[in-house]
Amino acid sequence: MTDIVVPKGLWDTQKTPEGIVANWFFADGGNVPEGATVAELMVEKSTFDIAAPNAGRLHIVVAKDGVVKPETVIGRIDGV
Amino acid sequence: MSSNRIMTVSRAISEAIAQEMRSDPNVFVMGEDIGAYGGIFGATSGLLGEFGDARVRDTPISETAFIGAGVGAAMAGMRPIVELMFVDFFGVCMDAIYNLAAKNIYFSGGNCKVPMVIMMATGGGYSDAGQHSQTLHATFAHLPGLKVVAPSNAYDAKGLMTAAIRDDGPVIFMFHKGLQGLAWMASPEGAATELPEESYALPFGEAKILRPGKDITIVAISMMVHHALEAANALARDGIDAEVIDLRTLVPLDRKTVIKSVAKTGRLVVVDEDYKSFGLTAEIITSVAEENPSYFKSPPRRLAVPDVPIPYSRPMEQFVLPDAADIAAAVRASLGKAA
Repeated sequence: MTDIVVPKGLWDTQKTPEGIVANWFFADGGNVPEGATVAELMVEKSTFDIAAPNAGRLHIVVAKDGVVKPETVIGRIDGV
Repeated sequence: MSSNRIMTVSRAISEAIAQEMRSDPNVFVMGEDIGAYGGIFGATSGLLGEFGDARVRDTPISETAFIGAGVGAAMAGMRPIVELMFVDFFGVCMDAIYNLAAKNIYFSGGNCKVPMVIMMATGGGYSDAGQHSQTLHATFAHLPGLKVVAPSNAYDAKGLMTAAIRDDGPVIFMFHKGLQGLAWMASPEGAATELPEESYALPFGEAKILRPGKDITIVAISMMVHHALEAANALARDGIDAEVIDLRTLVPLDRKTVIKSVAKTGRLVVVDEDYKSFGLTAEIITSVAEENPSYFKSPPRRLAVPDVPIPYSRPMEQFVLPDAADIAAAVRASLGKAA
C-alpha cells in the first residue's frame, strides 16, 4: 500500500492555505498504471496534476471537492 | 486498447490534438493563451511542452489576423487548429470565417481546400454576461460551407476532434465551458467518460440515442443533453418513457434518426441553449414536419433562450436557460398531463 501524497511545497501556503481535489481521473477501486495522472488539484485558479507513485488498485481517501494541503494523503494504491 | 481512465472533455480534446500532431507535422495550434496557459478552458493543456512554440503559437488579441492567417495556412497545405476562445468573439473575424474559410473551396472550383478547425467555447450558466455566454449554434450552422460539431461528453469530444482535424473542410468545433471538467466550473456527471487511449475518429452527422423510449422524443445537443437525460430519469419515475437523442453535430445534421424516433413516439420536444427564433429547434421540428406531419400526435414543443441576450444576474440567467424541470414540464404538457 503506497500513499498518494500532495507534495510538500507544491504551492505557497502562506498565501493560500488550502486547495481542493478538482478531479479524480480513475474510479475508486480502479487499476492505475505507474506515473498516470490520477488526480487534479485546484489552488485558487491554478491546477496541479498528481501522478500515481506506482501501479495498482486505487483507493480514494479525499473525494472530489475535498479540501487538501501539502502532505495530505489523498489516496492509496494497493500494489499488484 | 481500452482504458479505465475517466477523462474530462478538456483533456480528451487536448489528447486528440496531441495525437494528430504526432502523426501529421502539418497540424499546428494557435490562439490566445493556448500555449503556457493551455487554453483558458483547458483544450490545449500540455501541448506547448511536447511540441514547442513553433507548433503551439500564442497570438495577440487580434482575431481578425489570426483566423485569417489560419485560412491562409490551411490553403497552403497546413492543418491549423485555431482557437477563438469564446464563440461570442466571432464578430471581429467573421469575414475570415464565412467569406474565406467557408467559401474558398466553392470560389476556387474545388481547387483550394481549407482544412481548418476553429474551436471555441460556448454556453452560459455561470454569470459571465451576454458577450461570454452564448452558444450561437444556429449562427454558424446557417452558413453553407462550415461543418459544426458540439459534443456532450469526453468520448465524443475526442473522436469528433480527431475527425475535425482530418476533415478537408473548415470545421467549427464548439465545446461547452460547463462540460470541460475544469477545476473552477462544475460539470455534470457523464461529461467526463472513459475513452480509448489510441486515436479514433467519430463520423459527423450521426446522432446518438442515449436513452431509448417509446412515449416521446427529446432532441438536444451539448449541455442540454445532460438536462434532457436528467428530465428523462425524473419522468421515468412517473412512468413516462422518453427517448433522448444527442445530435452531436449540427452540420451535417442527422435528420433521419430524429424522424425515425418521432415516427415511433409521435411526440417531440427540442431543447437548445441558443436563441429560440430561427434556430436549431425550428430546424428539427421542420425536418419531421416536412417528412410527415401526421407523425405528430400533439404539437411539437421547443425550449430555448427566449430571444434576449443572456443576463448577467444569476436568477435572471437561470430563468432564461432551459433546465431539466423545464424539459420535464414540456414533456408532460405534450402528453396532456398536469405538471
